[in-house]
Amino acid sequence: MVRSSLFKRLKRIDLFKQNSQNQQQDDQQKSSAKFTKEITTNLDQNLASIKQMLGDPGDLVVREFLVGSLDSRAAIVYISGLVDEDLISNNILKTIQSNLKDFDENVLDKIYKEVISITDIRKVQSLDDVSLAILNGSTAFYLENFDTVLVMGTNGGETRSIQQPESETLIRGPRDGFVESIETNAALIRRDIKDPNLRLKSHVVGKRSKQKLVLCYIDGIVNPELVKEVNRRLETIDIDYVSDSSYVEQWIEDSFLSPFPQLMETERPDKVSLNLVRGKVAILVDGTPFAIIAPITLGDALHSPEDYNQRWITASLLRLLRYLSAFFALFLPSLYIALVAYHPGMLPSTLTYSIAATREGVPFPAAIEALIMAITFEILHEAGIRLPKVIGQTIGIVGGLVIGEAAVSAGIVSPIMVIVTALTAIASFSVPSYSFALTLRTLRFAFMIAASFLGLFGIILVYIMINIHIVNLKSLGIPYSTPFSPTFSQDWKDLVIRAPFSFVTRRPKFMKTKDEKAKDIKPE
Amino acid sequence: MSNLNYGDEKISQREIFLAVPSMLIAIGILVFPRNLAENTIAADGWISILMSGFIAIMFTWLVAKIASNFPNQPFLKYASFLVTKPVAMLFTFLFVVQGTLLTAFEVRAIADVSHTYLFERTPVQVINFSYLLVVIYAVSGSRAAIFRLNALFLPIVLVTTTILLLFSIRFMEFNNVMPMFKTDIKDLGKGVFEGTLSFTGISILFFYISLVKNPIKVPKKAVLGMATVVLFYLIIFLTCIAVFGNVQTANIRFPFIELAKSVEIPGGFFERLESIFFVIWTMAIFTTTVMAFDIALFALTSIFSKVKKQTFVFILAPVVYFLTTIPNNSYEIGVMDKIVTYFSLGLSSTVLIVLWMMYIFKGGKQGGK
Repeated sequence: MVRSSLFKRLKRIDLFKQNSQNQQQDDQQKSSAKFTKEITTNLDQNLASIKQMLGDPGDLVVREFLVGSLDSRAAIVYISGLVDEDLISNNILKTIQSNLKDFDENVLDKIYKEVISITDIRKVQSLDDVSLAILNGSTAFYLENFDTVLVMGTNGGETRSIQQPESETLIRGPRDGFVESIETNAALIRRDIKDPNLRLKSHVVGKRSKQKLVLCYIDGIVNPELVKEVNRRLETIDIDYVSDSSYVEQWIEDSFLSPFPQLMETERPDKVSLNLVRGKVAILVDGTPFAIIAPITLGDALHSPEDYNQRWITASLLRLLRYLSAFFALFLPSLYIALVAYHPGMLPSTLTYSIAATREGVPFPAAIEALIMAITFEILHEAGIRLPKVIGQTIGIVGGLVIGEAAVSAGIVSPIMVIVTALTAIASFSVPSYSFALTLRTLRFAFMIAASFLGLFGIILVYIMINIHIVNLKSLGIPYSTPFSPTFSQDWKDLVIRAPFSFVTRRPKFMKTKDEKAKDIKPE
Repeated sequence: MSNLNYGDEKISQREIFLAVPSMLIAIGILVFPRNLAENTIAADGWISILMSGFIAIMFTWLVAKIASNFPNQPFLKYASFLVTKPVAMLFTFLFVVQGTLLTAFEVRAIADVSHTYLFERTPVQVINFSYLLVVIYAVSGSRAAIFRLNALFLPIVLVTTTILLLFSIRFMEFNNVMPMFKTDIKDLGKGVFEGTLSFTGISILFFYISLVKNPIKVPKKAVLGMATVVLFYLIIFLTCIAVFGNVQTANIRFPFIELAKSVEIPGGFFERLESIFFVIWTMAIFTTTVMAFDIALFALTSIFSKVKKQTFVFILAPVVYFLTTIPNNSYEIGVMDKIVTYFSLGLSSTVLIVLWMMYIFKGGKQGGK
């Protein structure tokens, strides 16, 4: 084992050597400059080095020009598409060419301090930094006879503008949603919370993609232990590319075996801000409009930001409705199976008769019937998401046939089963968190299978199992069943109901925040 | 994980308070009104309940007090200090036996009740097996999670029971409760014994109090928990008598569930509420079963500290399953019930008395802290 791996490693080194030798030969043919990791005083060599480092791509722009009266050569290097070209021509090229008349040994300092009218500008002396900056959309300025490069933040290019979030719509509430650019997203949070203690701690994720990741929290509210733990977990991430914050979520979550989401995703800056002031942390990842909120508990999955934007009575009732619909989404098909197949005596006799009458032509037992309908619905749901919007209508029509009158008249399912399926579907759509709705969909099948074997007793056994799982599960160290259990009765004011704002005077106690009071309570 | 101080090694004092009712409210209360009504006239059983309740509360206080005098020390350790190691080992081992027996009884009894109220044809073995699997899943997790489970389930059970009791007010007849104070002392004494038997599960406190970080208020909390249980028993007994009358109560197999049968929710959708009620009651029985099993594991791991808990789960589970297959009918289950409760009562009171005697004899506090 050891020998073979050693051998492989040797071989790899050999290959690498050959490659680099070949490349060097190629380069020597092209130009006389040699590849070095150092920045030299020779402009040609510097340009050759950066070109070679990036593999001389077609979108790399190298613009050489002459500076000042001494006709000293200079060059700017950037990648087109990542930069704002107007900014470069107006604020770099034009200003340098028009303002720089005399030329002495301090010229680079002068350019750095006086000439260039871009706010984000750095002096850089290593090729790695230069190339990383260029790949991030900065522009590098080289000057003949200087071994220092000026790197200017010229990020630009096409991005999506701020739009209404599609995955979480509200009737009342802010309309802006996160976009793919992390700077914009961070700014959106900053606009909500103008607290100097708002911390945005940067990490880099992705071995290849080198994406920026920002951990947001409010110093002075958040529990420092939590931040430490999140930072520790973020640092363990070892992955090539992060296409969505979900990669991060799956990497840092507590249990990958759990069907429950242990961190919450959101597209809404207001939701992030709301959770930050409660002592939670948020994670933004460059390239995705989905931020992660952590830690979460069971109740969070059924809360919507809209709860706070409506008056408390209606909001509380709506929240109760959501708990009820979560119950339906989870239990309804399995209750149907249990009641029809095992305990018909529990239904009122008239209903039992009518169910029996409608089921007369149905060839399957209740369990199979329910499974067929549930799976059909899941297929329909999945197809509806994957279909382009233009042919979305088709799904509506075809779906209506499969789960509807046609299926009933074909004698495959009973009409009451159609109602059960439809009600379950509507109920599961009213769960605000999509990932939690997925969990409910998964668990629903567990209940159905249990109900088909053991009736109501099976349902209660699975229910107990889920409860056992929940009390064992943690989200970043906080039990998932908090504040139900461990019991924090003070936090129940904003759990099943949403008490008036004047009643909720403290931040969630289970978060163990540093600053407990959410309001200044005047002593009586 | 240690962050945010939600360590899974420790539990709070409130969780002890919740653990007591979670442990004591189980199968026993389903048949308790019958056993008591057999011995007493009309509603006179309440005297027995109060007296046995008083004994139970004293008992609870003594158990909690001696355990909390040795904060953060496991049972084996403080028992060894008081009564020498071999005796402590013997006690611990007997608690393993008690936990195993109690688990087996609860598992078997729940299969029996569900046979009565949910399905007649499903084999008992299947019900036993599936229920036991869920119990195994629960005890394989962390110990603190069991207490969190208590806190989730107990309110559900209590609320459901309250609703049931509220609905049965309509069916109460005052005549059933009369005449009062007709039972003679001897029969009342039998009732007291019957009641005391129902409260023996309290021995879990010998073990669990060692998990409480700072058990100053634990005796108070445990007594409060016990008082809740006594009140619960009292109300249920009185309701059963008031609804069914003494004679009927004494002849119904599970008077408490039968209460649900007689109740109709006005304009209700479901009929045969007793099935739903029993299904919810399963949670109450479940917490008891889990804690009984967990005590057996706790005791075993304290003897063999190097073996992992999961190993004992796999050793004990077949034993429990084997025990559940022994009784063949409800009469034999009743015998099993007697064996388990007499054993528990004997063991807990012996241990308690011996420990307290030695504690007083040794002058108490010097080894405590």
